[in-house]
Amino acid sequence: MASDSQAEDEEQEDALLSDEEEETEEEDEEDNVDVDVLSNEEIDALMKEYGNVVRSDPEPRKSSAEDANADAEALSMATALATAANEVKAVDIKLFHVKPLIYWARYFLIASAFSMPQVNAIVGRIEDIAQEQYGKIPRPSGKPSGWTLMDFDIYTAGDVVVHIFLPSQREFYNLEEFYANAPLVELPFVSESSSSSTARSDAEGESEEEMISLS
Amino acid sequence: FVQMRTKLNVADNSGAKIVGCIQAKARKIGGSIGDVIVASVKEAASGKKRIKKFEKESTKVKKGDVVRAVIVRARMQKGRRDGSHIRFDENAVVIINKEGEPVGTRVYGPVAAELRAKKFVKILSLADDV
Repeated sequence: MASDSQAEDEEQEDALLSDEEEETEEEDEEDNVDVDVLSNEEIDALMKEYGNVVRSDPEPRKSSAEDANADAEALSMATALATAANEVKAVDIKLFHVKPLIYWARYFLIASAFSMPQVNAIVGRIEDIAQEQYGKIPRPSGKPSGWTLMDFDIYTAGDVVVHIFLPSQREFYNLEEFYANAPLVELPFVSESSSSSTARSDAEGESEEEMISLS
Repeated sequence: FVQMRTKLNVADNSGAKIVGCIQAKARKIGGSIGDVIVASVKEAASGKKRIKKFEKESTKVKKGDVVRAVIVRARMQKGRRDGSHIRFDENAVVIINKEGEPVGTRVYGPVAAELRAKKFVKILSLADDV
């Protein structure tokens, strides 16, 4: 039975080949790839049918949808980190959207702290939040000092860079002036500014008086 | 490679203009982009010239000081992982202190992005072009 079917197949193949041969004689086009030289039209036809990319880009460009996702995630992480810094009583927290100015970062979070232990506390809090909620670890960048920096990567570009300054260092380096063209992002809380925190103790008495007068 | 006696321009506003390398800290053969060198200040700003209306040239660093510096631009090319190379038309450094913090407040000219992997993100954030 098998041999019969084989014989039938062979017959069919012979018939097909003869058909093709007839066609080739007439039209001079063939799909038979035993021939060494293929004409341009044949190559085009083969490419159209079977052509595929042999070598692809190892790092394909992010589609705009992915990029928008990365933007949204970076924004949510930046606001979460800003909230974390606010909880540790950092002052003058500002979130700059620097992507239009810089290609290697999306957001700069700038905050001030009054002492080194407070800087360490802010660093610890931000690291915890980033680790728990987003699974990101900051890139190691030196010991905490007057200007402490934390560099978080989401995709290939570092998306959120956190700068924690002591007030004197903040004035000295003046990053806000340097990135003044970057739009500020509104934060969900009201950040205390360093001037208001010193005046807070004076104003407390006044606000109590106001409240009494209103009631 | 940046080695002993190589003269480099200073790319920040720390007060120095030209430094001469004394030692390349990273490798024996010399330093390239992103490496720290020890250098001696050959030329520095005098401190009398005014840049802006209320700002004079800073004199944090004087001639003859021995300082540490990071190479931010180098004539020798450096290879990147994607197969590309980067090289500049000059050798330039940014002066840093022992902890790795920049002494100046602004960095002029383009800097190589290799600094990020070498933990000099502060210099990147002060630079006007990466």
